Amino acid sequence: MPAYKAPLRDMRYALYDVIGYDDLTKLPGYEDFDRDTVDAVLDEAAKICEEVLQPLNHSGDAEGCHYENGVVRTPKGFKEAYTLFRDGGWTSLACAPQYGGQGMPVSVNALVEEMICAANMSFGMYPGLTHGAYKALHAFGSKELQDSYLPKLVDGTWSGTMCMTEPHCGTDLGQMRTKAVPQEDGSYRVTGTKIFISAGEHDLTENIIHLVLAKIPGGPKGTKGVSLFLVPKFLPDANGNPGERNGVRCGSIEHKMGIKASSTCVMNFDDAKGFLVGEEHKGMKAMFTMMNTARLGVGVQGLGLAEAAYQGAVTYAKDRLQGRALSGAKFPEKAADPIIVHPDVRRMLLTQRAYIEGCRALAMWTAKCIDIYRMHPDPAEREKADDYVALVTPVIKAFFTDIGFEAANIGVQVFGGHGYIRDNGMEQLVRDARIAQIYEGANGIQGLDLVGRKMAMHAGRYMRTVFHPISEYVEANKANAALADFVGPLGKAFGRLQQATMHVARAGMARPDEAGAAATDYLRLFGLTVLAFMWARMAEVSLPQADSDPFHKAKVLTARFYMERLLPQTGALLATITAGGKTIMAFEEAAF
Amino acid sequence: MTINKVAVIGAGVMGAGIAAQVANAGTPVVLLDIVPAGATNRNAVAEGAVAKLLKTEPAPFMSKAAAKLITTGNIEDHLELLRDCDWIVEVVVEKLEVKQALYKKIDAHKKPDAIVSSNTSTIPLATLIAGMPQEFAEKFVITHFFNPPRYMRLLELVTSDKNSADTVKKITDFCDYKLGKGVVVCKDRPGFIANRLGVYWLQSAVVLAFEHGLQVEEADAIIGKPLGIPKTGVFGLLDLIGLDLMPHINASMASALPSTDPFHGMNKPLPLVERMIRDGYTGRKGKGGFYRLNREKGKLKEALDLQTGDYRAQKRMRVDAVTDAGRDLKKLFTHDSEHGRYAWDVARKTLTYAAALVGDAADDIVSIDEAMRLGYAWKWGPFELLDKIGVDWFVSKLEEAGCLVPPILQAARGKTFYRIENGKRQALTLSGDYVTLERREGVLLLADIKLTQKPVLKNGSASVWDIGDGVLCFEFTSIMNSLDADIVMLLNQTVQLVQSKYKALVIYNEGSNFTVGANLGLALFAANIAAWTEIEQLVGLGQFAYKGLKYAPFPVVGAPSGMALGGGCEILLHCSAIQAHAESYIGLVEVGVGLIPAWGGCKEFLARWQANTKMPKGPMPSVAQVFEYISTARVAKSAAEAREMMILRDGDGITMNRDRLLFDAKAKALKMAENYKPPAPPTYRLPGLSGKLALKMAVDSFAKMGKATKHDVVVSDVLADILTGGDVEYFDELSEDKLLELERKNFMRLVRNPDSMARVEHMLETGKPLRN
Repeated sequence: MPAYKAPLRDMRYALYDVIGYDDLTKLPGYEDFDRDTVDAVLDEAAKICEEVLQPLNHSGDAEGCHYENGVVRTPKGFKEAYTLFRDGGWTSLACAPQYGGQGMPVSVNALVEEMICAANMSFGMYPGLTHGAYKALHAFGSKELQDSYLPKLVDGTWSGTMCMTEPHCGTDLGQMRTKAVPQEDGSYRVTGTKIFISAGEHDLTENIIHLVLAKIPGGPKGTKGVSLFLVPKFLPDANGNPGERNGVRCGSIEHKMGIKASSTCVMNFDDAKGFLVGEEHKGMKAMFTMMNTARLGVGVQGLGLAEAAYQGAVTYAKDRLQGRALSGAKFPEKAADPIIVHPDVRRMLLTQRAYIEGCRALAMWTAKCIDIYRMHPDPAEREKADDYVALVTPVIKAFFTDIGFEAANIGVQVFGGHGYIRDNGMEQLVRDARIAQIYEGANGIQGLDLVGRKMAMHAGRYMRTVFHPISEYVEANKANAALADFVGPLGKAFGRLQQATMHVARAGMARPDEAGAAATDYLRLFGLTVLAFMWARMAEVSLPQADSDPFHKAKVLTARFYMERLLPQTGALLATITAGGKTIMAFEEAAF
Repeated sequence: MTINKVAVIGAGVMGAGIAAQVANAGTPVVLLDIVPAGATNRNAVAEGAVAKLLKTEPAPFMSKAAAKLITTGNIEDHLELLRDCDWIVEVVVEKLEVKQALYKKIDAHKKPDAIVSSNTSTIPLATLIAGMPQEFAEKFVITHFFNPPRYMRLLELVTSDKNSADTVKKITDFCDYKLGKGVVVCKDRPGFIANRLGVYWLQSAVVLAFEHGLQVEEADAIIGKPLGIPKTGVFGLLDLIGLDLMPHINASMASALPSTDPFHGMNKPLPLVERMIRDGYTGRKGKGGFYRLNREKGKLKEALDLQTGDYRAQKRMRVDAVTDAGRDLKKLFTHDSEHGRYAWDVARKTLTYAAALVGDAADDIVSIDEAMRLGYAWKWGPFELLDKIGVDWFVSKLEEAGCLVPPILQAARGKTFYRIENGKRQALTLSGDYVTLERREGVLLLADIKLTQKPVLKNGSASVWDIGDGVLCFEFTSIMNSLDADIVMLLNQTVQLVQSKYKALVIYNEGSNFTVGANLGLALFAANIAAWTEIEQLVGLGQFAYKGLKYAPFPVVGAPSGMALGGGCEILLHCSAIQAHAESYIGLVEVGVGLIPAWGGCKEFLARWQANTKMPKGPMPSVAQVFEYISTARVAKSAAEAREMMILRDGDGITMNRDRLLFDAKAKALKMAENYKPPAPPTYRLPGLSGKLALKMAVDSFAKMGKATKHDVVVSDVLADILTGGDVEYFDELSEDKLLELERKNFMRLVRNPDSMARVEHMLETGKPLRN
């Protein structure tokens, strides 16, 4: 069974040394969250994740959720764990103080989320979905709805869901059939079936608050006629406690490849009482707000799973004695050398590690921008931060989850046959990681979002927030001999990214299929290049301390590994992208 | 004999505007009106009219100097002034007795062969000349201008069988060559062509909108863009004309047209419109019209709800019938919705009415199409529209509905109204035969050349055409004719080609604008992804290509019409000569988007002003002048103004008629080619740092007065660096290449500036400059 130790040192490094967390404590509302406070939060989070959540991960997977007569039971131990989690205040960490939240910066919360996902992704789904519902309601709900629902969502006594998908429509929500009929008292009656609803029904909380997309009859066609509704499982009574049972019921739960301890429900709404959130027909806008943060959250899931897989693989590679090093025995006193002596095993471990630490730094840069967007007094700074977040959201979602799956897969490979069997928990990580590439907008859709929308927005203004910092960094450091091994490859990859960008922008303007054909490769090229930027900056931070501190020495070596062994993919990707989509589209449908 | 002097009698809006356009053509003009009762200044009316012309926007004069060509007076004291006029235009009130009394006075004072015309829009020619002597009638025609006379290209000419061929030719030539009008010959029928059809169309569109229960935005969205009607739409156009005018126009049409005319069927009372007029909601000149800008609500765009009669926020319309139909008009007309039925009803009525006008208001379809294109700015005339729809389909739908099918539509069964035969355009006649359409002499159009030729060179953004006699024509074909790397490349190739096989090059196109400048979208995108090397390369390539034009061993004539901004102005500054359409709007506007001209615009503009011998001595005056123009993004509002700004030089020409521009430019190019020598490169003496300080002080004082924004100061500073030569001393002689380098270097400074990038983005997204 892989143990999990939260990588606190590396988290602090990314947060404090690379991204410059201290800037945030100058923002109004964040003054109280100095390093001491943050350190204490991270330590406590590590404790509950390592000691409470992680031990339930394997058993939860083996047992799964139980459905009986509309009632769902989570696996053994989940309810107790959730109570501990809620009582520890973890559901309220990043929520507004006005509703009982702790108002913690997103930067800190993201690290906590990574730990939760690494320890037990299934468990993380429940508070994760609640937080999504909290955000939508906080951004768009009426004062009345906010006052009656937010405090309970914040303190975790109630949980939340996002209900979008229907049996015949997932990505294309314009085809939605669930309808909401206006009532005289201003409420609505919601009727329809939603599927794939995570945390749609369970036994962790006394009430479940569904945020449901539905159409008001007679409204505009397609997605322009979609509105967002709040539909509680129990309608609150006069005292705000769960009262009358509402017409929403779980019809069944899915039997899935992974995240088995997370209940994935078919939800039937039958004349259920609902309340409009935001304006009529503006549901997609509200949904996207929720989805954008959710997409970043899913990216972090990928990162957490990769970390878990890496830790398992390292432990095993050091313990497993098998054969001898190619250059002769390294541990002649032992029966065999541990497999970590082998270059290929090292290649696998370093691949995981270089991606993980790069992604963690990028996650921190992004979280910092979300914090700036939330709190900065200067609107120009807020706009810039928002531009950046809009741009990298699809990259983080797709690139991180692809990396998460790759890293989990490597984890199994290092274990060999012992990874393939269930007992060691490595194959669970692969299965759990797989969903992250699919939900919240499949990774292919993320590519389209990047090349089709984000790239072109305001004649490329979003792109400026990534391209200018990299360009300026390369410019400023190209004469720095100490950094040459890092800035050189970064500059090269950046040139490829610029070239690919111009190509995709031009080709895509003329023929949308060209941009579509390039989208996935382009997103990866983008992710690899931004990661190279992170690695160059980490090398810059660690180089002066590399001789005195093994942590920094390892950093610099990992940076080298990234530049030498992973970044060169960008060359192949550029070639693929510029090859265009002609051949792909020339293939007759009948010939498939 | 030609027309060398003109008189306009009646100094109202139309009369004054006509006088201004005559003056714009460089022809002296007498403007007379009545003596107001009890006036001390007996010329007050005409003088006041000229004063008002000078203040009107858009300007009736192409240059303030043109106003000096107008002599004002009154019809009691100054009829003597008619003595040497070759054409006298009457533009007085639409009252027969007033007009005829005036004609008698005119007849007594005019020279015998002077032509007299009326600008009447309602009184038949036959009625006007009833009782006038034969000699007067022989020289009398109707010249019907559209408002405003400078900008509206249509001139309807009504002649009679009494006119000699010479009279008709003389007046036609003057209106065509000198006033730049598209002259359409109409028969002596009420409303002539454009208003006869136009008024019927407007009236039908409004009446039917009420009947179909539509809102103004819906109606305008349905019959606007799909049918090639200008952005204003029907209701916006009525606001512009003035709602109060419509009852008068309708009444005069109704009284003049025979009772069988379908107009009467559409001339229905509209209670809501009547109420609007009563309450002063007469359109843009009144408290508002079908649309209005509500200033109390922060310039909120509002529209009148046709059902309730109240104003409400204007809606952005997406009409399914339009979206579903795309470009297929048949789909629009058969769309199963109130919108589809409305589109069909308006189109059916309007086009059938147009067809019935053949043989009535005009003898041919071409005149009707031309009148609607030039007079109402329709993209396609009614018969061109019928070709797009399909004549047989249209006729069968008429028959299905039991409507009368006018003769020209009968004749067109199984045919099209227009066709191309042996590279010539032909039009259908009432007899069912086709006649070949010949352009007037001196008209050369690329559109015609394209019927028979393939381009000599071509890429995604430009084409090069052989326009005969050894002359090539370079045409921009990019979106909005914006300049990009492809255009620059093709220019280089073209210079090579002309050098090897041809005599001269003309740069010209038939878009509504010559070019609005460089493709800012691409440039901003490149800047956003920090593609600095590529941007600098493109700047360098443009400089190289433009310099190539300037020093080519053959003449290059730039022939702009409409806007020629930024890089478009720079290309003209590098041409050997310019032949500009009178309605050319040229200027270096780069500072508006936070940049400076860097395709040689600064150095060419400077060279022009340094070569001006009328400027005071020393390096500073010309630098200061050019600095003022570029730093304020000054655009010449006509070719005449461009000449005052020295964008046009001595020897550069102005063509009044758009259709004659290419012919004139080609003629100029061929004339220059006879013994052409490329210019010698200029050298520059610039004031250096002390000059820069002087400019900086001027800018700072503007900033203090609040006339220059924060970023204006930054951009001006960079511009001053270029124009003063940067770090030079008075006595240094700078080469052209040194200036190009300064342009390039300083352009790169600005393109990286986030405030400049914000300006570009704002311009791209709103079409308006950002004042940051």
